[in-house]
Amino acid sequence: MTASTRPIRCIACSIFKKEIEALRAAGRLDLPVDYLPSMLHMVPERLETRLQTALAEARPEGAGATVVFAYGDCCGHMEELAEGPGLARSEGINCCEIILGSDTYRTLRREGAFFLMPEWALGWKQIFVNQLGLLGPCAREFMREMHTRLVYLDTGILPVPEAELAEASAFLGLPVEVRPVSLDPLLASLEQAAHAARAHDAE
Amino acid sequence: MNRDHRQELLDAIQQADRAGANAIIQDWAAGHSYQQVVSDLLSPTLETFGRLWAHRELGFSLATGYVAAKVAEDVLARLLEEAGARGEAQATLKGPVVLGNVEDDFHPLGRKMVGAFLRADGWEVHDLGVDVSPAQFLDAAEAQGARVIGASAMMYTTAKNAAKLREELERRGQAGRIQLALGGAVFKLRPELVATFGGDGTAPSAVEAPALFERLWQCATAQRGEGAP
Repeated sequence: MTASTRPIRCIACSIFKKEIEALRAAGRLDLPVDYLPSMLHMVPERLETRLQTALAEARPEGAGATVVFAYGDCCGHMEELAEGPGLARSEGINCCEIILGSDTYRTLRREGAFFLMPEWALGWKQIFVNQLGLLGPCAREFMREMHTRLVYLDTGILPVPEAELAEASAFLGLPVEVRPVSLDPLLASLEQAAHAARAHDAE
Repeated sequence: MNRDHRQELLDAIQQADRAGANAIIQDWAAGHSYQQVVSDLLSPTLETFGRLWAHRELGFSLATGYVAAKVAEDVLARLLEEAGARGEAQATLKGPVVLGNVEDDFHPLGRKMVGAFLRADGWEVHDLGVDVSPAQFLDAAEAQGARVIGASAMMYTTAKNAAKLREELERRGQAGRIQLALGGAVFKLRPELVATFGGDGTAPSAVEAPALFERLWQCATAQRGEGAP
């Protein structure tokens, strides 16, 4: 089996699930994908273990697929995990940079933006209250000290969750901006990673 | 009945209750001098907190770390206010030191916590914020006469930029004379990266940063062939 004929798989964070599936449904992306829950992001060690398992399952006995990770630098050994023949990762520090592209991401971060991807916007309370422990006045103090506004990244797949965003804005004490984003940077990042994995595999 | 203020303060911090924590400190200070708050109540409580937090004990979250730092800042502000009212100079005793997130890193929490605990321990802190270039770190350290730079990074990708900071230290002939403390989530998960990227030391939690900076300051002083400050 040569690099070009070797099957290719993508292991992706579920934060991208709706967007990747939309790209696949539109015929813009030809890549079978396995998703892992985005909440693993909150416990990087657990995410790392799950990624190692997913990789082993995708490449049994080392004869399996070329693998692309649709992930940011989300756990301590992410770079090493995606290194080696037939492996590559989507370019970007985190999911928001992958969706926005590097320049826009940096500009907005410098402005103090806190990003909400669609999946996490729907479950914002679970993340801020249950996972980060931000309760009562502490939540507002914390967010206002660290950030200037919430930026919802509207990928156009789901309706904008107006009620949830309003609730999050009131609870966290920050205004919310809805920013329409194209799926093109995500697609380009995945295609570039797939190309890199295949090229690496062929060496 | 005697109250266990240390335990109460720890509980309040664990519940991310800044106002409650400050009320407990006020109550304790009513029977003591406020100057004793740091040595007799806050520091021992934060030592316990730091130990539990570093080991990720149940109930110790990002929010509790933030509140612990805020309570330390509140106590420091009150001490400075009292010193001002007595007409005493509000001089800090230690430092100066420089803090910042390395280039491309935009996660300020850990750095801010380190700054709060250093200030509460009497350090003069110059906080450069997020996304700080190696040149900006060194320019500030040289201008202020800092002997320790504290650089924070959350992820491996950005932690690699700490190596550029080390290169800049070497290029300017400041290696050793200015010590480099590295911290942040990735260094906690992978402490071996501190040496890989040219750090002189790290601490398991922000609460333990003052002890680290003390040690590094002494190293820098020895490197300069000077005695203790």
